[in-house]
Amino acid sequence: MLEARHLTKRYGTTTALEALTLTVSPGEVFCLLGANGAGKTTTINLFLNFVDPSEGQALVNGVDVTRAPLESKRHLAYIPETVMLYRNLTGLENLEYFAALAGSTDLSRGSLLKVLERVGLPADAADRRVGGYSKGMRQKVGIAIAVAKGARALLLDEPTSGLDPKASNEFSELLRQVSGDGVAVLMATHDLFRAKESGTRVGIMKRGRLVALHGTDEFSHADLERLYLEHMHD
Amino acid sequence: MIGTIARKELTELSRDGRFRLLAAVILVLAVASTAAGWLQFTAVSRQHAEAQRETREQWLGQQEKNPHSAAHYGVYAFKPASHLSIVDTGLDPYLGVAVWLEAHRQSEMKFRPAQDRTAIQRFGELNGAEVLLVLVPLFILLVTFPVFAGEREQGTLRQLMSLGVAPRLLVAGKALGTLAAVALVIVPVSALAAVAMAWASADSYLAADVSRTVALGATCLVYFLVVTGVGLAVSAWAPSSRVALVTLLGFWFATSLVAPRIATDVAGSLHPTPNAAEFQRALDADLSDPEEARQRLARLQAETLTKYNVTSLDALPVAFSGLSLQSGEDHGNEVFDRHFGRLHDQFSNQARVYQWAGLASPLLAARSLSMALAGTDFEQHRHFAKAAEAYRRDIQRTLNDDIARNQRAGQPYLAGTELWSRVPDFTYDAPSIGWVLGRQATALTVLAGWLTLAGALALLATRRLSATLG
Repeated sequence: MLEARHLTKRYGTTTALEALTLTVSPGEVFCLLGANGAGKTTTINLFLNFVDPSEGQALVNGVDVTRAPLESKRHLAYIPETVMLYRNLTGLENLEYFAALAGSTDLSRGSLLKVLERVGLPADAADRRVGGYSKGMRQKVGIAIAVAKGARALLLDEPTSGLDPKASNEFSELLRQVSGDGVAVLMATHDLFRAKESGTRVGIMKRGRLVALHGTDEFSHADLERLYLEHMHD
Repeated sequence: MIGTIARKELTELSRDGRFRLLAAVILVLAVASTAAGWLQFTAVSRQHAEAQRETREQWLGQQEKNPHSAAHYGVYAFKPASHLSIVDTGLDPYLGVAVWLEAHRQSEMKFRPAQDRTAIQRFGELNGAEVLLVLVPLFILLVTFPVFAGEREQGTLRQLMSLGVAPRLLVAGKALGTLAAVALVIVPVSALAAVAMAWASADSYLAADVSRTVALGATCLVYFLVVTGVGLAVSAWAPSSRVALVTLLGFWFATSLVAPRIATDVAGSLHPTPNAAEFQRALDADLSDPEEARQRLARLQAETLTKYNVTSLDALPVAFSGLSLQSGEDHGNEVFDRHFGRLHDQFSNQARVYQWAGLASPLLAARSLSMALAGTDFEQHRHFAKAAEAYRRDIQRTLNDDIARNQRAGQPYLAGTELWSRVPDFTYDAPSIGWVLGRQATALTVLAGWLTLAGALALLATRRLSATLG
């Protein structure tokens, strides 16, 4: 569903991402681990076509994102560290707007409310302006947008950082549900615990290179942490 | 999709206190300027109608007198005000709306309120066109500057661009939302003005005004689209909303406040006109050259004697005084045509420069069109002046012909009501909208060019949007 082929991004003489080759299949949750500046966000930006690759290709559902920037986004949803919404609009209005622009056809109040309920947004929050939403609520609206859009690939950029453990747990649970529906998930994260919990594979990145690639069932949380620290050590 | 984007922009705006305040200010100014224009219009047109009737009554009520005395008695002709002059008073306050028609003289127009104004008042005059073409665009720029730049700062732009929305739909939707916001303010005022206009007008000018009103509405719409396009382009291009705001305020200041004054100065220096005293001096010099008058009379005398095959003026079957008066008129008319022709050509040239200056500022093209459609531009001033002058010449010819036919040498000749009523009342048909727009071809082309440019810029800037998010 998501595929990177020798994906490379250079800024002048610095290489932000070096020949990343990676496939994320439907139902898979792939976690990109690594220090700040390791190239995780660059990878996500490349898939979103917010930056042009220096070399290689990023494909969504087999579509090259630079050649068909609009078509490739049709199957994609993006959730950043904090989902940014229009603060003067209610949660429901935000969802309706983004879902409509993403091309969803069923925008009835009833079905949108059902989506918000599914992602666990408190019922009384839907008609409140998002200016007063907590970060966890915003992330839920982000997932709701992806669900309403019927996205088949999810790009997440540290979506749980700053969430309290309960919200973080809820978020992981949602992610598991979504991937259970056959969505391919690529998530950049610092949270090793969440990666182990909800990821199916982890990749460790260092200075733009993917240095390790493992299934999460290969080891325990402690093993993962050890592995990570080994790679970070130089 | 476009509708969804527009509706969201409008919803957000309507929940923004700053927008509501701004809209209220524009609304108040628009209502005030329309009301002031309407009061002015109804007062002035009532005065004009009264004065026109009075001048006619006075003309018809003249006691028996020599026709040439009547010629000196004179009449007033008033330029009928189009209802759209409520919106754009244009050059009328500067050029005048009434002309005194008498023997021997083509007069300049009178009743120029601008004459009695101080410079500072001229600066502060607020008519509908100023609100529509200067303040509403400022409002548009204040609405559009954060459209993309603000979303970028809020972070919603990444969310938006990750959805895969086509840039042209985004531009169209945001533009539509902006125009809808403008419409919220403008439409109620326009409806009010239209009702006021319809209510005020029992007379026949309204039918012609409808097509002009529609054209004026279209002009405003196109100009608003131009400003919206520029606003969206800058908002998409600017690195921050602050930069967008400053850039757009600069654009507004340059095109709306500076450009009109520079254009007026440039037009004046490219096509200079004499001041009133110089003009009058040159006119008088050509008009009353004693040597020319002597020769002309001698020639007229010789020609008349030959024509009627007589040897003395006393033997003529017509009164020579009537012929010589008309000859004086004919000569004067030639001189007037030359001098006023030259002066008016210069004013026309200045107006043309003003249209071309639309290349530098779309406001100038829009304003040129709005004045023309309101019937208050120079070309329609000239059209009226010509009609009034033709009427003056008709009066003089009618009176002089009557003198030539009826006056007997050595006897006083008095004419009466029969002659006065043979002079028809002054009627004036304002030119058709085709005539008006034909003379605005430059402004129309320039404005269309701006529309294309602004649209292309907005689209181009939006295409680049997602590339600025990395």
